[in-house]
Amino acid sequence: MDTETGGEKERPRDDEIQAFHNQIRAADAEKLEFVGDKEPLSVLEDEYKAGSAVFLAKLQILKENYGSIRRARGDGNCFFRSFMFSYLEHLIVTQDEAEIARVEKSIEICKQTLIDLGHAEFTFEDFLGIFVEQLQSVIQGKETSISLDTLVERCRDQYVSNYVVMFFRFVTSGEIRRRAEFFEPFIQGMSNMSVVQFCRSSVEPMGEESDHVHITALSDALGVPVRVVYLDQSGDINDKPVTVNNHDFIPEGMDTSVDPYVILLYRPGHYDILYRRENPANVEPTILEQKN
Amino acid sequence: MLDVSRVQKELVEIERDKKLSGVSVEISEGDLTRMRGTINGPGGTPYEGGIFIVDIQLPSAYPFEPPKMQFVTKVWHPNVSSQNGAICLDILKDQWSPALTLKTALLSLQALLSTPEPDDPQDAVVAQQYLRDYATFVGTARYWTETFAKRGSLGIQEKLAKLVEMGFSEDAAKVALESCGGDENAALEKLCSG
Repeated sequence: MDTETGGEKERPRDDEIQAFHNQIRAADAEKLEFVGDKEPLSVLEDEYKAGSAVFLAKLQILKENYGSIRRARGDGNCFFRSFMFSYLEHLIVTQDEAEIARVEKSIEICKQTLIDLGHAEFTFEDFLGIFVEQLQSVIQGKETSISLDTLVERCRDQYVSNYVVMFFRFVTSGEIRRRAEFFEPFIQGMSNMSVVQFCRSSVEPMGEESDHVHITALSDALGVPVRVVYLDQSGDINDKPVTVNNHDFIPEGMDTSVDPYVILLYRPGHYDILYRRENPANVEPTILEQKN
Repeated sequence: MLDVSRVQKELVEIERDKKLSGVSVEISEGDLTRMRGTINGPGGTPYEGGIFIVDIQLPSAYPFEPPKMQFVTKVWHPNVSSQNGAICLDILKDQWSPALTLKTALLSLQALLSTPEPDDPQDAVVAQQYLRDYATFVGTARYWTETFAKRGSLGIQEKLAKLVEMGFSEDAAKVALESCGGDENAALEKLCSG
């Protein structure tokens, strides 16, 4: 048999490709933690000083309502890592025990959804367990209670962070497949994949970026309202006033006037965590546009 | 660090379901990172009736990194190297997810045997044959299955042992057996004439 296989040398082996991926990620890790420190929004002004006028104009508007930002690492998991930190921080600040009890019920439903969809329980139970452990440690005054600083540390820990991201990916995939009819048109609008293909290739693998389909699914499945504020190039600087678009993802059955628990800043291809100003009363009235 | 408890749960599930699934896994003694998977060749394909052995290595970050899989049994297939068994399959690279398991990965390999993807080849020669001369491809793939993946060829170790007993070196005996498609007598003839 002829064993001449000319094509092989041109194609790197799987483990070589994987090693290369890991190398890129490791290089990224040196630049930024999974979640960074809280920084004033003005750091973005410095970033865009020489950049687009639209960005700068929008930043000014943003500053009326928002005061700080916390960056997430741009490794394709930034939405999930931002969501994780922002939601747990919301709980540590509000000490809302009723909300924790509520989300734990939602998690039980998610678990059943995954089992119904044919996932073996052992494939996700450890990921689920780590998230529940974090939920149970944010209420103060218990032996297992953690401070905000410890929460930051945990969200920077590869084990904890990746496990929770993977749990969210499971939940997101489960919700999309459970409501396939609802999500199908959105998925087909972006790709020509089926719902199942989309979940396999764009939701379940680590490092696959998120968009409104992922956010809708996770927000609905866990019952957590999310706001995304878009800082992008849309709009013309000569049109007054320039507006900043934001979108509130409100889970079904929740009052649409609810204040989102998680606020994210979206810049094309990336999500970071956004914080409201501590005292927004003494600035100009908001001209944020609600786009639902 | 390798998630040992997860791997153990996977092994239990594979064992429980191996009759139905057509895939199984054996661990190397005392080493959870090294395994041998077996895949039954899918019916209605040139691989039907063959039993294909896959070498599996688990990286320490498993399940966050994909298992390394490589065919030990020689396979004639556009997405498998005919020389070293290296596999081209997205889920073993960037499309891997911790939601997948060793079992689902082996089932994906089984599906790959049924549905080659010649446009994304591992072995360009095989892929070209598949696209340009499908009948010859099927013939070769079937011949390789008969030769390397059938029960008879599972006795290859015994044939090898026999030749070694006759005084030939193991390497030479292996080469001879492989070049003669596992035919013990032809291999002996070759060794004697060589």
